Amino acid sequence: MSLAAFFTNALYWWQWLILGAILPLILALYFLKLKRHPLEVPSTYLWHRTIEDLHVNSLWQRLRQSILLFLQLLLIALMMLTCLRPSWQGRKLSGDRFIFLVDTSASMSATDLGQTRLAAAKDQIADLVEQMKSSDSAMIISFSDISRIEQGFTNNRRRLRRALADIKPTHRVSNLDEALRHAAGLANPADSRERESDVISVADALPATLYIFSDGNVPDVSNFSLGNLEPVYTRMGSDDCENVGVVAFSVERHPENLGRLQIFGRLEHFTRRNTSEDAAAATVDVEVDVYLNNDLVDAQRVRMREGGTGGFDVSLDNIESGILKTEIRNADHLDVDNVAYASINPRRRAKVLLVTPGNEPLELAMETTQVQRIAEVTRELPSFLSKPIYGKQAFDGFYDLIIFDQCAPQEMPQANTLFVGQLPPLDSWSAGKKQEIPQIIDTDRAHPLMQFVELGNVDIIEAWPLKPPPGGTVLIDSDLAQPDAEHSAIFAIAPRDEFEDAVLGFNIIDMASGVANTDWHIRVSFPLFVNNLLRYMGGRGGRFEARTNVKPGKPIVVRTEATITEIDVETPRGERSTITRGSLGHFTFADTDQIGVYTIHEQVPQSVTRRFTVNLFNREESDIWPQPKLEIGHETVAGQLTWEPMRREAWKYVLIVALAVLLLEWYIFNRRVYL
Amino acid sequence: MSSAEAETQLLSPELLAQLERLELVSRKIFRGRMKGERRSKRKGKSVEFADFRNYVPGDDLRFIDWNLYARLDKLFLKMFLEEEDLHFYALIDNSLSMDFGQPTKLQYAKQIAAALGFIGLCRSDRVKIEVIGQALRNPGSVLRGRHSLWRMVEYLEGIQPGESIPLVDGVKSFCLRNSGKGILVLISDLMDKQGYDVAFRFLLAQQMDVYVIHVLSPEELDPDVKGDLQLIDCEDQDQAEITVSRPLLERYKRTLATFVDSTREFCARRGMAYLLTNTNVPVEQLVSSYLRQRGLVR
Repeated sequence: MSLAAFFTNALYWWQWLILGAILPLILALYFLKLKRHPLEVPSTYLWHRTIEDLHVNSLWQRLRQSILLFLQLLLIALMMLTCLRPSWQGRKLSGDRFIFLVDTSASMSATDLGQTRLAAAKDQIADLVEQMKSSDSAMIISFSDISRIEQGFTNNRRRLRRALADIKPTHRVSNLDEALRHAAGLANPADSRERESDVISVADALPATLYIFSDGNVPDVSNFSLGNLEPVYTRMGSDDCENVGVVAFSVERHPENLGRLQIFGRLEHFTRRNTSEDAAAATVDVEVDVYLNNDLVDAQRVRMREGGTGGFDVSLDNIESGILKTEIRNADHLDVDNVAYASINPRRRAKVLLVTPGNEPLELAMETTQVQRIAEVTRELPSFLSKPIYGKQAFDGFYDLIIFDQCAPQEMPQANTLFVGQLPPLDSWSAGKKQEIPQIIDTDRAHPLMQFVELGNVDIIEAWPLKPPPGGTVLIDSDLAQPDAEHSAIFAIAPRDEFEDAVLGFNIIDMASGVANTDWHIRVSFPLFVNNLLRYMGGRGGRFEARTNVKPGKPIVVRTEATITEIDVETPRGERSTITRGSLGHFTFADTDQIGVYTIHEQVPQSVTRRFTVNLFNREESDIWPQPKLEIGHETVAGQLTWEPMRREAWKYVLIVALAVLLLEWYIFNRRVYL
Repeated sequence: MSSAEAETQLLSPELLAQLERLELVSRKIFRGRMKGERRSKRKGKSVEFADFRNYVPGDDLRFIDWNLYARLDKLFLKMFLEEEDLHFYALIDNSLSMDFGQPTKLQYAKQIAAALGFIGLCRSDRVKIEVIGQALRNPGSVLRGRHSLWRMVEYLEGIQPGESIPLVDGVKSFCLRNSGKGILVLISDLMDKQGYDVAFRFLLAQQMDVYVIHVLSPEELDPDVKGDLQLIDCEDQDQAEITVSRPLLERYKRTLATFVDSTREFCARRGMAYLLTNTNVPVEQLVSSYLRQRGLVR
């Protein structure tokens, strides 16, 4: 900045002339004053001896003697400086009501600004708070995927500063929506009136300036009107940022060899740095370490294009349980996504309840050693469904899978279900009339339930054409289409809350006649299907690792033995919290803000320790490039890296210093003290 | 100025009454030969007995103590001291630097000399007052007896602040002219740029009982000056430029204290008595209290 920008001339030339004339005047007066008064004394003998050694450092002596002169010159210089109106550039704070929205999501922990973006944002807000006039009021809201009012409207700067200091970074994803609604509460009172239509009184709209401090990596906010809010988006982050993140990390057991673990990881490189033609050719080498229980088990170098993705996989044998961690060794601007965890929980046999009036092929298929290894099957008659013990077990989540063969419960249990020849007691499922000799047209071989299941040689005598609820998947499609073309499935699966219900549209053994309704059970594909069923729906399938991973801040549902009422969850930081069983029969743990491994301790003897992990796995947060604009409703708010400059006057402070100099001079003159 | 006025200026009647009861004491004589002299005088004896010693042939038979011979059957000679009067000298520094202060240091010095001289006169001691600067032109005469008081006062009144003769020259001149033993009181401000030690050594050589009364005015002890000053020495017109400040004044006081301490030590090592006084201290108090403590009078 040039010198001229610092100063503004406040005087005319002749005024400067007068002011400048004071300097020689003071010097002249000083030298006049220096004419010492002669004083006759009896003897200068002692005086000479007194000042003898003072002459040794005579320059300092002179300075000391002329300190009053220096102070007077300094005073005049300060007054001249005051007349030059020195100032520095500050930021302009417009309006008198301010709302500061601070993004605390994971990407705000990026360190591309020298410090974390959040710290930089806090500094900027602190700067703005300093500039507030006493009549201004401000509010501070921090947001990630939830929003929090750190400090309501106040003109107390101390409280604002304290609230600001209390804002901590989180590992959550960001969502501006809730924060905007919080901010709009006072500015757009019309909204609240609309919601509470019977409330007539309308508060005055209080327009405010909305300062959003974010890197813009937030989903666009639709269905929101800024109204009286004047948005100012401060784009936190530099264009020169770079990040490599683990966007996926999973562990699966090998489908054929359950002792073998297959570990898959996906990395993504985020940068906008290189936009030239050679960007496509540029590659990045990322070094990845994989640890099992903190012991390095593999290290790989993943080569990928700049801004591209890459993957790695590792196979480990004979691992029953443990914690897997992968870590990127490359330095980048965001550390949170450089590490990912996966938990291998010890294998647990699935608890399966088979309710059937008698189904020999199914029972036989469930008694194979292969099935016995992975599942613990209990067989009950349909009358069991009316016993209280069933109600308790089914609704406390005791079973992983309940197979209803030609029978149906009053209510859906808290478990995965397979209905054979029967519809679940849900309105969402519908079936047509029973028809004969359906032809299997297609099977969904990609679905884990139908893997390796070959149905080309299977004949079915009678079947009901099914229509799964929205979101359901048809696994076996037939030529039946009754009453409409949508009713054609004879095997379908559909999700229900966190469970899945599969419905087989035909009986295997007809209960009334005791005659087989299909020859499927004598085909090789049948035991394979049962195996798939128990693995997948018994919780042993491909999703079993996925279920143990949640996103930061999202609640996780934990199911345990029915007898337990409390479990302890230990966070990665080692804090333990006890949770009690919820009304739905499971445990819900929501304090998952930290990334890492959480351990569940069931308060029963010989219980197996289970773990789940919290990982970021979010492309939007890992992509730390600050977005140039925010889409809020129909408005586009362009980000600003620089602020509208504002002169901040310093002449007051200079004048205060000048007054202090004057006081000092007065004191020295009167007390005859020297420094 | 009449002698009566001068007398009252220098010595007030109250002071005279007080001084009449005092006498001068020489430490040297007291310690040495003349032990018991003053006490016996007070009892009204005209002949001073000093000691006995064995008779040896040739001694004056008139001094044999016959009473002792009768008692002890041995001849002892009674030894008497000749009644020797005390010589008291007062040497006043009348340099121009002494003409400062209110009252001036010279006036104060005169008062001290008058008081001590009066004591001596009352006790029939030989009193001689001399001035450093004027000694050659106007040497003081030896005075004796109370009736000489007016002459002494007259002489003192006549002393004017005079030309600046270095202390050492004045003392040397004094010593050459006065060789007798006795008490010498030097009253000076010791503000001589050549120093006092050579002068003091001359005095020491005289084997006199030397008292140095260092007279300073309050203005010298605690200067009340301000601002930027050009100090001019009244004797040699020497100049010193100072800017008065508290540290400078403190420094001056430290220098003065060092000067006084070194003088006191110099005197103490050589058996001279040193007394620093301030012209604000009344002469009565000085004589009856301070000098009494020092053993000059009792």
